[in-house]
Amino acid sequence: MKSKILALLGSALISGTAMAGGYQVNLAGQRQIGMGHTGTGLLTGTSSIFFNPGAMSQMGYSGVTIGGSALVSRIAYSAPESGGVTARTDNPLGTPFQVYGVYNINEKFSAGLGVYTPFGSTVNWGDEWSGRYGLNQLKLQAIYVQPTVSYAITDKLGIGVGLSYVMGSVNLQRSVPVQSQDGTEGGIELDGGAESAFGFNAGIFFQPTEKFSIGVNYRSKVDLSVEGGDVMFSNIPAAARGNFPDGTTFNAELPMPSTLSVGIGFKPNERLTLAADVSHVGWSAYEKLRFDFSQNVAGSPFSEAGRNYENAFIYRLGGEYMVNDALALRAGAYLDKTPVQDGYLTPETPDSDSRGLSAGIGYSVSENISIDASFLYINKKERTDAADLSGGVPGTFKSVAYIPGIGLNFKF
Amino acid sequence: MKKFFYKSSALALFAGVLLTSCDPDIDTPASSAGEADFTKYIAIGNSLTAGQGDGGLYREGQINSYPAIMAEQFRTVGGGDFTQPLFTEEQRNGTGYIRLAGFTAQGSPITANVTENLAIRSASPRLYTKYLEPINNLAVPDIKVADIKTAGYGSTQGNPLFERITPDNNASQTYLQRVQESTDHTFFSVWLGNNDVLAYATSGGAFSGGMLNSPARSITPTATFDANYSELLTALTAGGQEGVIATIPDVTAIPFFTTVGPSVQQLMAANNIPGVVALTGSGSSRIQIAPAQINAAQNGVYFLLTSAAYAPLVGQRTGKYWRDLARQVSSSQDPVVVRLTLAGLLANFQVDTTAMFGLSIGNPIPSALVLDATEQQNVRTATETFNNIIKAQADARGLALFDANAYFDSVKTGFGKNGVAYSPAFITGNLFSLDGVHPTPRGYAFVANEMIRAINSKYNANVPAIDETQYRTVLFPVQ
Repeated sequence: MKSKILALLGSALISGTAMAGGYQVNLAGQRQIGMGHTGTGLLTGTSSIFFNPGAMSQMGYSGVTIGGSALVSRIAYSAPESGGVTARTDNPLGTPFQVYGVYNINEKFSAGLGVYTPFGSTVNWGDEWSGRYGLNQLKLQAIYVQPTVSYAITDKLGIGVGLSYVMGSVNLQRSVPVQSQDGTEGGIELDGGAESAFGFNAGIFFQPTEKFSIGVNYRSKVDLSVEGGDVMFSNIPAAARGNFPDGTTFNAELPMPSTLSVGIGFKPNERLTLAADVSHVGWSAYEKLRFDFSQNVAGSPFSEAGRNYENAFIYRLGGEYMVNDALALRAGAYLDKTPVQDGYLTPETPDSDSRGLSAGIGYSVSENISIDASFLYINKKERTDAADLSGGVPGTFKSVAYIPGIGLNFKF
Repeated sequence: MKKFFYKSSALALFAGVLLTSCDPDIDTPASSAGEADFTKYIAIGNSLTAGQGDGGLYREGQINSYPAIMAEQFRTVGGGDFTQPLFTEEQRNGTGYIRLAGFTAQGSPITANVTENLAIRSASPRLYTKYLEPINNLAVPDIKVADIKTAGYGSTQGNPLFERITPDNNASQTYLQRVQESTDHTFFSVWLGNNDVLAYATSGGAFSGGMLNSPARSITPTATFDANYSELLTALTAGGQEGVIATIPDVTAIPFFTTVGPSVQQLMAANNIPGVVALTGSGSSRIQIAPAQINAAQNGVYFLLTSAAYAPLVGQRTGKYWRDLARQVSSSQDPVVVRLTLAGLLANFQVDTTAMFGLSIGNPIPSALVLDATEQQNVRTATETFNNIIKAQADARGLALFDANAYFDSVKTGFGKNGVAYSPAFITGNLFSLDGVHPTPRGYAFVANEMIRAINSKYNANVPAIDETQYRTVLFPVQ
């Protein structure tokens, strides 16, 4: 009963730390969101910077696109074997955005710059729910800036490659199971900006006939690392403060996984475009979440929790119908298989197979200006997990998201 | 154009479907009372059922008692109001209790007595502000199964917390008679019997016979336990009522017995002490204790939490324990009388306080501070016997059984839930309060959930579990 007590105070803390689950955000272009986020095998306009740089040299004009989405996500939780213990997230509005500019240098070459947000997650469970020692809230953000060049080998075959410059940040907050006589409960916040990292995005686009097109795209893995992020503690009673030293910093690493996509486009007639994509996401890069601390926190210089994600496939279908020369109607659907194995569910992103349904509309105001609007509904399968391998929160989770978006295109 | 209309109406339909399911919902089985009727629930028990913790009974503990938690859950399936003999807000600290004041430089906890806002109406004999309204929580701290038919147990000379709820015009009413008064309850819980062994165990078996013989600190005879327990249940089920009853946890599962031992081991190792000598039972027989025996599963010895003040004195020529005891048991605090009492004690136990405490045969560690192997066996045998009686009663009467013995046994090695580590460890284990015997409100919440589980299983009910994280563990000083 000697000093062991002090050493153990709040020791449960970091054992279950986690960051994010299937934290890919596939919202890279408003026209494509409307079409189930297909586009690897299509001429998607300026957003080919993201979907397939090989198609960029085939578009034949210069243009700029600015767009963004309003991501409203809601997650419900129910504890195991009880109808009585439940929680809901109060997530702030997510705002993934995209800006693309393409300059058509000549018939063969085009160059462009894209800024987009392919990964991120914002979850807020609050500090009162039963899983609060696992997570109060998480904000994970990654911004890609991608200068890109594309070359038309023939008028039917294009290749392109972009260099991705990646910035990111993370903020994670959880409760610490130590209570003071004034009733407050301890808290910990990890906050840090990621070191700049680089990756690439390469693609080939081939259009053998008027009706048919195919593309292959590969976006490389990018490891984001935080060095010297701040660890901040709140409401830690004096007796436990030795376990939660002020001025602690942390290092951590999080992979933005690679994505290999193959897509086809088919135009049965002048007005109708159909598309199908299959993507393979290299989630197995995310094996564990580890924080290394500059000083012992809760008696340990690091915390580690298993993630062991599996590689996963995404299947997409989409279509666009030109009602007339100005108005386009779009619809699409996709199935995004979860990378999270049983036993590894976490409240950061309580992931499961997700089904997406989308609709969109496009309108050309003039020859040079057009507007795209999209709406995407994501419904993740209800999933019950013991979370015994990830140090997560056991129970049943169900997520849905509503994502309206709008984009403006300028052609030169 | 036809196509356009078709498309837009499909979109409208699509949007309509989306909006109807705006929030995600998880389907859970509906709550139900099953074959049980929770309209009026009453709780029978001792300090555990009263909500005692931190060495006292006070308002916060009462509010977070496991029957109160259960009653709150019963409300979702037709349960009614559950009234407890709560101390008032002004007298919220009730009997007084201990709080954590800090830690020594070595990291040992320092506790302080909470002495303001008490509910004491008389200091000697100690009596509390009465509570005479009808109540659903009939728990009385310290009560044994052996006490339930004792006339005068609720008098001013009896148990002050039973006296507190006993009508003035019926001061000799027994606990059983009080229970028999309740006829309109529809459901009950009984967690009783702990003190029939615990009082012996927490006093190291030192008062069960001999010069300091005290029936209150002895193990209840089996026949008495059996007869009284059965009579109590007969009263509670007189109207065919359903209920849940609980077994007695093993004492080795609570920090009161397991916390101090390791520090004695350290002290012995640091000073190359091969063994200490202690009194056993209630007489003057001595035993030798080797370091390896401390907290050992076989032939083991526990140093009780009450030994924390004396264990560091091992090796010193001291009679501190006997002076403290003499003041306690002396009929008067007159120094002359106390001195005479002390002389009597030393003679009876053949103690020479000028010899080295714990090291010399002449100055052994008092029996009340240790629970040795023989005493542990007595406790174990009694616990098993009583638990078999309780289980047989549950079977015979078709009642739900919460096997508290099995539950506290299962948590001995610790477990994790919702990111918090739990174990019977003192303070850090989160389950037990500062007295090392009674649970924290969090610990009581786990007990409530286990009882609910037993009730659900027996009566095909689905009373929802509660979120244990909403109940506190040990509180620390801010500064």
